[in-house]
Amino acid sequence: MEARLVVTPTLCIGCRTCELACSFTHAVDGKLGLSRIYPLDGGFKELWVPVTCLQCEDPACAKSCLVNAITRNPETGAMVLDDDRCVRCLACVAACPFGCSLHDGQNGIIVKCDLCGGDPVCAHFCPTKALEFSPMESVKRQSA
Amino acid sequence: MVTLTINGKLVEADEGEMLLAVIRRQQIDVPALCHHDAVEPYGACRLCTVEITKSDWNGWKNYVTSCLYPAEDGLIVSTHTPEVIELRRTVLDLMLARSPRARLIRDMAAEYGIMRTSYQEVVDGDDCILCGLCTRVCDEMGFHAISSVNRGHGKEIAPPLWQPPPDCVGCLSCAQVCPTGFITYTDKGTTRTIWDRKFELLTCEQTGLPTVTREFAEFLSAHREIPKEYFQLSDRAHRKELAGTMGKISQWGREE
Repeated sequence: MEARLVVTPTLCIGCRTCELACSFTHAVDGKLGLSRIYPLDGGFKELWVPVTCLQCEDPACAKSCLVNAITRNPETGAMVLDDDRCVRCLACVAACPFGCSLHDGQNGIIVKCDLCGGDPVCAHFCPTKALEFSPMESVKRQSA
Repeated sequence: MVTLTINGKLVEADEGEMLLAVIRRQQIDVPALCHHDAVEPYGACRLCTVEITKSDWNGWKNYVTSCLYPAEDGLIVSTHTPEVIELRRTVLDLMLARSPRARLIRDMAAEYGIMRTSYQEVVDGDDCILCGLCTRVCDEMGFHAISSVNRGHGKEIAPPLWQPPPDCVGCLSCAQVCPTGFITYTDKGTTRTIWDRKFELLTCEQTGLPTVTREFAEFLSAHREIPKEYFQLSDRAHRKELAGTMGKISQWGREE
């Protein structure tokens, strides 16, 4: 099933529960992972924008990766970073124009949103449905 | 798909897949130092050696490096027989003679019961175990900046003529993949030094955070079609910019 992580900034209250959910979900060896999602100041009064990987059609991260560690998962449509292939050159971190390839300094790895393998945990925890994982058909209906 | 036996358990594998990948998928701990998924298997460290046999081999066995041996139908693999453990012990013993101060080698040797080498320690031994992972990763990325030089006792990893390597872009991949941490570098302010060559780190126009070296950014723009402007900001500034843009879009039609 094709689906998208739909972000609705006007619903976000900046509680950062998604960050916590992400960090806990992506913990490595008992150490918290770096969150792949950040509710940031949207520039208007009480407006928060949860910033996360946009899973671009033509992604700069994958183009910049010299060892082809970043590939698209055909099932979820997410660009997934294979940590066993990654050589930590930070090319994707520097190349992503949205800053959504991240260097997790504590665990010494490069991380990016992989949509949790097709069921993003942040969407489950979002109290206001600012993050929602919805099937492509309903996404198209909303945006039409 | 082929079916083989690993430590008495029937497992399936893709044809041509190397044994080490199949073994690790079964959560069996087989050590390997020169293996990395980004590069072709090499078989330098010999630590992933396993015992193989087949039912029609009349009891004959073979010891192979699992990273280089493709999975076959009917193969019977044992990863921890006394003979295999003895082989691994010998390899670690020799590595310890060469690199007595390398933390990782000492830990792995201790795991196999070797607290100090039974061979004569190499005079002025360093932490490099000559697995060649750094040079292979550098070649795979297309830089070819370092390589192994000399043979036998004099073998070492070095840039051409032991001079600062002209083809290096300072991406630090060699240092990052080095299993023993032998390759060192320093990042001081906006200057990065590796292999005795100095690089200038680009800094973010907004936050002032260093990102990648100028040479690496130029390489990525030239060969990977990444626009040069992408390297002007750090990831943090990029996220802030995205939040601002999305914030503006979300306010469309609300001002009135």
